[in-house]
Amino acid sequence: MGIKSTLLEIYDKKYKGLMIFTIVLLFLAIGVLGYNYATTGEFVKKGVSLKGGITITIPVDTDIDTGVLKTDLQDRLPKADIEIRRLTEAGMLVSIIIEASDIDEDALKNAVIESKLIELKEDNYTIESMGSSLGASFFRQTIIAVILAFLAMGLVVLITFRSWVPSLFVILAATSDILCTLAAVSLLGMKLTTAGVAAFLMLIGYSVDTDILLTSRVLKRKEGTIFERILGSMKTGMTMSITSFIAALLAYIFTSSDIIKQIMIIIVIGLFFDMLNTWIQNTGILRWYLERKQKKHGEN
Amino acid sequence: MGKIKQLLTNWRIILLIIFLIFAVIAIRPNPFKEGVAIKAIAKNSSAALAGIENPKPGLSPMSKEIIISMNNVPINTVADYYEFVDSLDANRTVRIKTNKQSYTLMTKGEYEKKELNETEQKIKKETVTVNETIDNKTVSVNKTINKTVTVPKIKKIYIGVQDIGLSVSQAATSNIRKGLDLQGGTRVLLQPAEAVDDNMMGTIIDNLKERLNVYGLTDVVVKEIRDKPKLLGEGNKYILVEIAGATEEEVKDLLAKQGKFEAKVGNASVFKGGEDITYVCRTAECSGIDPNRGCGKVEGGYACTFMFSISLTPDAAQKQADATKDLRIEKTEQGEYLSEKLVLFLDDKKVDQLNIAADLKGRAVTEIAISGSGAGTTEPDAMTNALKEMKRLQTILITGSLPVKINIVKTDNISPMLGVQFVKNALLVGMIAILSVAVVIFIRYRHIKVAASMIVVSLSEIILVLGFAALVGWNIDLAAIAGIIIAVGTGVDDQIVITDETLRKEAGHLGGWAQRLKRAFFIILAAYFTTVVAMMPLIFAGAGLLKGFALTTIAGVTIGVFVTRPAFASMIKILLGE
Repeated sequence: MGIKSTLLEIYDKKYKGLMIFTIVLLFLAIGVLGYNYATTGEFVKKGVSLKGGITITIPVDTDIDTGVLKTDLQDRLPKADIEIRRLTEAGMLVSIIIEASDIDEDALKNAVIESKLIELKEDNYTIESMGSSLGASFFRQTIIAVILAFLAMGLVVLITFRSWVPSLFVILAATSDILCTLAAVSLLGMKLTTAGVAAFLMLIGYSVDTDILLTSRVLKRKEGTIFERILGSMKTGMTMSITSFIAALLAYIFTSSDIIKQIMIIIVIGLFFDMLNTWIQNTGILRWYLERKQKKHGEN
Repeated sequence: MGKIKQLLTNWRIILLIIFLIFAVIAIRPNPFKEGVAIKAIAKNSSAALAGIENPKPGLSPMSKEIIISMNNVPINTVADYYEFVDSLDANRTVRIKTNKQSYTLMTKGEYEKKELNETEQKIKKETVTVNETIDNKTVSVNKTINKTVTVPKIKKIYIGVQDIGLSVSQAATSNIRKGLDLQGGTRVLLQPAEAVDDNMMGTIIDNLKERLNVYGLTDVVVKEIRDKPKLLGEGNKYILVEIAGATEEEVKDLLAKQGKFEAKVGNASVFKGGEDITYVCRTAECSGIDPNRGCGKVEGGYACTFMFSISLTPDAAQKQADATKDLRIEKTEQGEYLSEKLVLFLDDKKVDQLNIAADLKGRAVTEIAISGSGAGTTEPDAMTNALKEMKRLQTILITGSLPVKINIVKTDNISPMLGVQFVKNALLVGMIAILSVAVVIFIRYRHIKVAASMIVVSLSEIILVLGFAALVGWNIDLAAIAGIIIAVGTGVDDQIVITDETLRKEAGHLGGWAQRLKRAFFIILAAYFTTVVAMMPLIFAGAGLLKGFALTTIAGVTIGVFVTRPAFASMIKILLGE
């Protein structure tokens, strides 16, 4: 009980101080993305589905040393940019994914067959190839889609609350979620794929949910103090986030599909940042704003 | 007991139950269904000759014709089918019993024809029109005469049994259409090398379909995809070709090279697509139902004659003159024609033959009219068929003379084995996700009824989305599964909001149940609209390949907000009520 009340005490009295934490986080994220852009020319590394290239997914029964396979393939195809990933289902290796760009399909297939490190059986593997110009246009469009989605989301929030400042807080929280998640994705060495962009779009919807809950409870209710209303909505919101977080985490662990895995890991990371951004950043800033407003009213 | 009655008489819950019933009817699940479904029939194959029809496009998976037995051998799996077919010899009768009717077909041998250096005499039956005088009147009578001709001797070498021409798959156990990444197959995305208008795009698509058809690949999707809504301008246009169960090499070969069209008279090549045909008229001025001959009654219905003009190069016109100058003129009911026909080949396969009008004999004309006919039981039917036939011919003639190059921009060849694995895995993941949610909810509320209602409602949501997808013919692929997970996830979020609003009974809390529900639904609707607007742009981005994901998510959250969440609210109210 002691810890709980201390935490509540800090959450109640030191909320402005806590906000520094999320602000630092946001600036760190911007820093990471900026550094990426300065060094590589892009904010996050793009996977083959967004820059063009070939993906071969080969189911395997026995473990395969991906390091050896990579060196071998790289020696055979010195010009290609090759990456090998392991796809697991509940921790067990199910498939090996070979991603390569700047090479044509047959050459890659031949190299894999010649390496003799992994078997390519007819009908047993999936091969996807993406033209680089199409990949580039996919990337452009999905970025536009994200921006449009973001603007539309902002508009819905504005219409919902019909009040500029709290709406902007909600939009700020969603922006922080997206930026922090993007930075985390790049720090984890993951590459952005089409499915990943779809996950970010989902994240816009998901992360705004709790912010809407918070803002509408705090703004539209009259019972209790602001802090009591915050705690009430936090209880609901945390249940929402934790259920989604656990479900997405388990789905990430158990799925054998690379697409679903990518979507789920982004949701998991995004929900984590969303909890911080909603219950520290958005809550703090909203409370500050409302208490200042109340004070002004009181003085008048 | 009273609560169950209350539950079953609540209109929101009744509405959910009705929707569920409709969804189950749309899905028609039958996990025990056995047999092999007919996917497609190859042209001119034994199966086609026996009268087995190609399934109509858009037919729901459960309505496909199912093979039950062949020569009384029960066929339950695709393996059974292939085992039976492999045991066949040429010229055998095969009785195929399907769930609709029985067919009898003859297997054909596959022969290689070899022209030998010797010649032989052959007797050929020929119908000629002769003028006879009967009762002082001259009438034309068709007479069959025997004619002896000298032809090169041809030796037929038997090389095996021809495939009976059926393309089959395991019978579907529900109406849920599995997307390519769940069933395996090849997907190719093509892009015209230059901007094309809607007309040209239509021509290219018809062309590809015709060529795939010639190769016996009928179980294909060929459709246009644009990455911008039409209202917002042109955008990029793509052609999506999806073929279940074809290898990538086959499809690429077919799509990458230009079609080869050739017309022959006898053995002489007259004109080729691309180089010899300069124009194929497809506008109303020079194509359509022939105004001079039009439609007429024939035995068993009506027949209409169509015609369209094409332009040839002077070279081709000369070749045609040379090829026709020694032919005889034959009279038929429809008019006077030359004794040899103009035979059309697409990629070296014969696709059609046309009569050559007698007045073209030996003349080098660059403008020629192509005509043919279509029949039907009624006059409009005949007209439609004639125009369809005309379009097909035009498509064949244009093949090879397409003015735009088509680039392959994306190919996916998905292993059917991985697809099966994904389906099983998706079910497992779904179960785990729902159970984990139920556990968290139970820990939070300590109420088995809340957790149970949530499982029931989440499962109903999945069934409703799948039912909707089955009804409108959407494919369920991996992205759509992700969409369903998201929809159910937001559903759970909303249910938590509803439960919390309902459970807050502390003193001083204002408003009755209706009031509280109103507040819950304010939050839910706001969240709903943000999800929907966030998904909208994705319907078009990425050449529409994420369309399934966006649409499933939107459909899922919409069904959730308007059907399952109100029902959940009522359930909670009744179950937790005093």
